[in-house]
Formats: sequence, C-alpha cells, structure tokens
Amino acid sequence: MFREKGVRIAAWVVCSVLACFAVAPFVWVIATAFKTPAEINLQPPDFLPAQPTLENFHRILHDEHFLRYIGNSLVIALGSMVSILFTSSLAGFVFAKYRFPLRGLLFLVILATAIIPLEAYMIPLYIMVFKARMLNSYAALIFPMVIMTFGVFFMRQVIMGIPDELLEAARIDGASEFWIYSRIVLHLAKSGMMALGVFAFSEAWANFIWPLVIVSSKDMYTTELGLAVYQRQFFTEYGPVSAGAVISIVPMLLVFALLRRHIMQGIATTGLKG
Amino acid sequence: MSIASGQVLSPPTSARRGRLATSLARLRRQHILFVLATLGPILLLFGVIRVYPILETIRLSFYNYHITQLRRPFIGLENYARLLDDDSFLTALLNTAQFSALSVVITLTLALAVAILLRSIERAAPGFELLFYIPVVTPWVPAAVIWKWIYDPMYGVLNLGLSLFGVPRLGWLQEPNLIVYAIVLVSVWKLLGYFVVIYGVGLRGVPEELLEAAELDGATAWQRLVHVVLPLMRPIILFSVVICTIVCFNVFAPVYVLTASAQGAPAYDFKVLVGEIYQNGFVFYHMGYAGAECVVLLLCVLSLIAVQLLAFRER
Repeated sequence: MFREKGVRIAAWVVCSVLACFAVAPFVWVIATAFKTPAEINLQPPDFLPAQPTLENFHRILHDEHFLRYIGNSLVIALGSMVSILFTSSLAGFVFAKYRFPLRGLLFLVILATAIIPLEAYMIPLYIMVFKARMLNSYAALIFPMVIMTFGVFFMRQVIMGIPDELLEAARIDGASEFWIYSRIVLHLAKSGMMALGVFAFSEAWANFIWPLVIVSSKDMYTTELGLAVYQRQFFTEYGPVSAGAVISIVPMLLVFALLRRHIMQGIATTGLKG
Repeated sequence: MSIASGQVLSPPTSARRGRLATSLARLRRQHILFVLATLGPILLLFGVIRVYPILETIRLSFYNYHITQLRRPFIGLENYARLLDDDSFLTALLNTAQFSALSVVITLTLALAVAILLRSIERAAPGFELLFYIPVVTPWVPAAVIWKWIYDPMYGVLNLGLSLFGVPRLGWLQEPNLIVYAIVLVSVWKLLGYFVVIYGVGLRGVPEELLEAAELDGATAWQRLVHVVLPLMRPIILFSVVICTIVCFNVFAPVYVLTASAQGAPAYDFKVLVGEIYQNGFVFYHMGYAGAECVVLLLCVLSLIAVQLLAFRER
C-alpha cells in the first residue's frame, strides 16, 4: 500500500516493538511459573529460572484443586461449544435457505440481542436458576451459553455461500431436510464450524462473571474463577498464581495454533470476535 | 397424426403435472414442518435466555426486589432516584466512561496505525498479526494476573524497568490516579491484535489502482492515507468503534483481579459499572437496584452506539 522506504522502516520498528509488548508478558509469566519462591523475589530478578522447578504447578494443581477446576471448565466449555455449534448451524441454515413468514423480523430480533452483553441481563437469569434450585450445577453454568446470537449470524453467512442447486439436487433424490442439513450443509460449512467452535469454546472457557455469581462451592469453580479467587487472597504467591495463569492460557493457545487458518478466515469474512 | 398423438400424450402430462404439484406441495409442507421443528425450539431458547431476561431486567428496575424477601413492592423510579445520590455508582459511571474513552481511542488508533504500517511490509504481516493475536486469545483473568505481577510495586518488572530511567517506584495499582492507566494498558494489550486483524481485512479491500492513480497525480503517502484509504475504511472503523465500546463499557474481570479485595489485597478500590451491579445484585441481593444499574449500563452503551452511527453517517 505504501512502499516508501521511510514507511517500511517505521513499520518494522513499530511492529517489532509492539510484538515484544504483546509477547513479553507471556514469556515473563512462563519464566516465573518455573521459579522457586526465593528466585521470584530476587532483586534484580533473573530473567530465566536458574533451577527450573515444577513445584508451582504441583501446588496449584493439587493443593489448590486446580485439576478439578480445569475439569469443570472443560465440561462447561465443551458443553457450550457443542450446543452452540448445533443451534447456530441449524438456525443459520434455516435463516439462509428457507423462506417463511416473519423471517426478516425474527432474524432482526435475534441480531439485536447481540449487542446487549450478558452483564446487562444476568440478574433475571440468576433468579431463574435460583428458583429452579440449580445454583452450583453444570446445567446452570452452561445455561446462558447454549446459544450464541453471533453464531447464528455467522453460520447464516457461511451457509448462504452454499449453492442452492446442491440442496435442490438432494431434494429431488428424495433426501429429507434434516439429511440435507446433517450430510451436505454441515459438511460444506466445516471450516466455519471450526472457527465458531473455537470461538464458542474460548468464550465459555474465559467467561468469568457468570461462574462468579452462580458458584459458591469450591468444587464447582472454573479455572478462571479459581485463579481470580486464589490470587485475591491476603498474601499472593506469584509462583503458583503464574503457574495457574499458564495453565489457563495454554489450552487457548493450543487450539488457536492448531486452527489459526480457520479462525483468521472467520475473522476476515464476518468479524468473528476473538 | 399430431392431433392423435396430442390426444394420446395429453392425459399423462397433466397427470404428471398434477403429481408433481402434489409432491411439491408435500415438499413445501415438509419445509414448513422442518422450519417449525428446528427454529421453534431455538427461538424459544432465545426468548428464554435473551429476550425475556432483557425485558425482565427493565421491569425489575422499577421494583424493590430482594431475592429472599417475598414482598417486592413496585416503587416506580425510586431506584433511579437513589442512583443519583449513590456516590459509588456515580464514581463507577465516571470511571467506566474515562476508562472506555481512553481504551477505545488508544486501542483503535494504535491498531489502525499498525494495520496500515503492516500493509507496507506485506510479507511479514501474517507473522506479526499472529503475535499480536496471542493476547486476544488469552482470557481476561490470567491476562490481568500476569499484569498484576508486572505492576507489583516491590518486585514488578515495570517499576524495575522504569527505575533504569530514574523514575521512582510507583504504586500502579495503589495510586487512585494511576490505576485507570494501568487497567487501560492491560486492555490495550489484550484488544489490540483483534482490531489490527480487522483493520487489515479492510485495508486489503482498498483497490490498489486507486492508490496508484493518486500516486501518479503526485499525492504524498499522507495525502493518499487521508483522502483515499481512510474514507474507504469508514464502515470498518465504525464496526470497530462499536465493538470496542461495548467491550470496554462492560469491563469487569481485569478490575476484579487488579483492584482491592475484601480480603485486603493492597490496591485501590477502582469502581466500575459492572462491579457495582455485581456488588449490589449478587453480594447484597438488591436486585431491583442492580437492575436499574443494568438499565443505565444498557442505555449508556446504546446511546454511545447511536452517537457513533450518527458521527460516521455518510455525508
């Protein structure tokens, strides 16, 4: 776009500095997670741990029950992801490929709820869960995350790209609508499904305020909640806390690294949030 | 002959047409059944999990609603009147506005600059975008935990780094005046990559011929940027401003992690809107009052979006 030499040099300098700014905190927290308490409080600090230790991970996983929290987070994130993938693709398919009365209006209502964040309507949701005596349950933790407004919009965009002739041909061969959805549409929308799946999983994994209000017993804590509560204790030990942060980030990074092409494509086509 | 063949052929044709019509009607009925069977439950879920709670929040805000008390009298606008006298709410509102303004402006300006610069080093761009995206996939809680350790007044690397330049130790999370910048820095770090990628998508859509034409006409890089690139980027900038505003106005997790706690982690108690909602609704269970705060949050976000839409309107 701008090939002037000055711009190119400025680009390299600015982007390199910002890349350091983006990555340095990770390097620092990973280094801290492997340090002994004595080394963490060293002034000035060593950059890399002199005697790397797994003590911090052991403490956070066993003494602080993070294994249990990770399990809870996985159950919630996977449950939410599967449900969102199913509902979003189905609703997206129907909105993309069928004509029916009120279609535009219904889609608009769904879309309008997209800009309203969970924080603004979580009180009635909490009251519903409270009245159903479901506090501290997986069902309550997953419940607001079984659908995703953005997911419906996203899958509709993806499925609109599938040619009608394909679906028509299947229909002439006598395929049922559900067969068309499960065998043709899902197959052709695979890349979009992956991007949405990653997004739904990480949204549910990263969600903090809903577990905070719904959960009071420690055995239902999620990784995020456990980490936030643990680091708020009167004396914060940065070793185990750093190990906890690393544990909470690594699954996201792994998923992102594996599927980055799908994700970047999803962002490029519809502004999929990260 | 032709008449005869016509007589012979016509009955089956019409019969076939009739059969086709009935099968088409059956197909259409199947479609309608399919649409009803699939969309019905999903719309019901949307109704129960999205539409009803949003409306119910507005209703609650007119009641004195405490979850364990059975008497829940209608009190009209009293919750809203009380909000005006509530110092911690007003502080939270101001803090949230200040944080959002700083965070949105810095994040989006920086992201736009970076995205534009990346277009001049096209080959390295995907690699840089990937690095910038790492904080985006990091959840807020561990992100804030990392920064809390960096901000630590005694052992944090930020103070250590600044001391090399002769800056005295600062309590980033303890000083009432500094904490907002500390949280802004975390949010810029976390959000930047997403908008770099979004802007990158928009910039790749700017037709190269336009830029070349402007260059032939003797336009400098700056003139091409202001008169060619930015006008074309208007929709994407608007989208980014809206998304970023929503995210920033709902800031909570990093504030929860980085500020003071009841258990006495030493930091300044920086109040934000969602924090107040959490406090009133889920710690004190004054859900009507918290509902009024939710409505204010909603109105703030919606009116900001309306203003942004107007400001970015095509002239």
